[in-house]
Amino acid sequence: MNVLFVCSAGMSSAIVVNALKKEAEKHRIEMNVKAVSTEEFGEEVKNGWDVAMVAPQVRHRFDYLKKEADAARVPCDLIPPQAYTPLGGSTLLKKVRELAQR
Amino acid sequence: MDQLVQFLDKYFSGPVARLAEQRHLRAIRDGVISALPFIIVGSFFLIIAFPPVPAEWALAKWAKAHVADILIPYRLTMYIMSLYIAYGIGHNLAKSYNLDPLAGAQIAIVSYLLTILPKVVDDVGFVLPMTNLGGHGLFVAMLSSIFAVEVLRFCKRKKWTIKMPEQVPPSLMRSFEALIPVALVVVVMTLITVVLGIDVHSLIDKLVSPLVTAGDTLPGILIPVFLITFFWSFGIHGVSIVGTVARPLWEVYLAKNAEAVAAGQPIPHVAPETFYQWFIWIGGSGATLGLVICMLFFAKSQYTKTLGKTALAPGIFNINEPVIFGMPIVLNPTLIIPFVVTPLVTATLSYIATVLGFVNPTYIMVPWTLPAPIGAYLATGGDWRAIILVLINIAISFFIYFPFFKVHEQKMAEQEKAEGEVFLQ
Repeated sequence: MNVLFVCSAGMSSAIVVNALKKEAEKHRIEMNVKAVSTEEFGEEVKNGWDVAMVAPQVRHRFDYLKKEADAARVPCDLIPPQAYTPLGGSTLLKKVRELAQR
Repeated sequence: MDQLVQFLDKYFSGPVARLAEQRHLRAIRDGVISALPFIIVGSFFLIIAFPPVPAEWALAKWAKAHVADILIPYRLTMYIMSLYIAYGIGHNLAKSYNLDPLAGAQIAIVSYLLTILPKVVDDVGFVLPMTNLGGHGLFVAMLSSIFAVEVLRFCKRKKWTIKMPEQVPPSLMRSFEALIPVALVVVVMTLITVVLGIDVHSLIDKLVSPLVTAGDTLPGILIPVFLITFFWSFGIHGVSIVGTVARPLWEVYLAKNAEAVAAGQPIPHVAPETFYQWFIWIGGSGATLGLVICMLFFAKSQYTKTLGKTALAPGIFNINEPVIFGMPIVLNPTLIIPFVVTPLVTATLSYIATVLGFVNPTYIMVPWTLPAPIGAYLATGGDWRAIILVLINIAISFFIYFPFFKVHEQKMAEQEKAEGEVFLQ
């Protein structure tokens, strides 16, 4: 599964990316995750991602990020704040799978 | 308290955050950010030109003898930052309108350049004075770029373009498309600068000078500091909101400080963004490194202990989302108090220390993910006293967070006991 994360600078979500990867390994799910900044998102989202996840601290930019994701036909949603921590892997994985079903 | 928090989120922080996403503000923000690599690289040549070593060392003597040459990369990057920023704003604004970004960037450049009069110098020929391409010209760069791209958009919408037959290749077609908007921008800007003889730069300088003065005072520092932690308290990226409006001003301070150093004059401003970054946001917004120390050594609950371990490394590099969303600080009244208070205290102390000359003002920009003592040392051009100030600020952060952390931990530990150990998945 290909998952794209977006946060302000692509830094903090990199930490959460690792949490998600570990959780996916536990469940034997192959997962390719990348974190980008909001500026890079519009271009990157076109490159065949299954799911796009928006970090909670940039939720004020959600509307236009969603538009960019919609244009690329990639399901896109906010990451719940409780899941946006290094310990939030399981909630995160659940959310990603839900979103991928849509 | 919870109701107050929800009320503020719904009617204040949310709407204001969305306001910061307004198209032009966003173009300015992304345009300024796009120039940061040039500012960072350029400012490094200031360190080489004025190395932080005793004057009698060979390195210092060499630098002194070649200072003008060493500063040339700085002169053509950071010193003329507004040129790069104008390009970035034009590009981003055009992109947001679904116009050709290259056309937007180019038309922004011509509009900006036409605010400056070339001079004739004997033996050299035509010369463009560089001063107004630097921090001085930043506000003019913002306005002229926006004007130019708006003209581009207007022409496109009104279909004021020269039609070419279908056989003409697309790249050629595009250059004809830009013909009328470019002509309009050039004529209007020439009218202002040459025919009417208006010096846009001194005009805008006069208009923004109260702002430039105000932003460099203690209240001018405490207000953005407060707003940044205020937004983060609701889980919204504070710097990206407040910076949208304040960053141009912060870059002007940085540019002027760097110019003063390059010219061998006293450094004029306390409050470039580097001041906030290295003296206040130690460990991330809210100066949370002190809190991470609390978590590491004084946590009672398993959850906090584990989180503390995972939050330490990112915290050293000033990334603190794990703490903000993990503890959580977001919407948590107990921890919001020290989260807001700590930076106000360290900001005040750092301001006083800088004004009284205990530490050098910052004038060099280094990447924000460096550990704070190193970042502060480099940002002040190699002032070891900056390291001490950083360590003092970390200690202050620890002591302010500590009592609130205890209260929070008490609750967490009790909760864990009640629920068994289910907190950790």
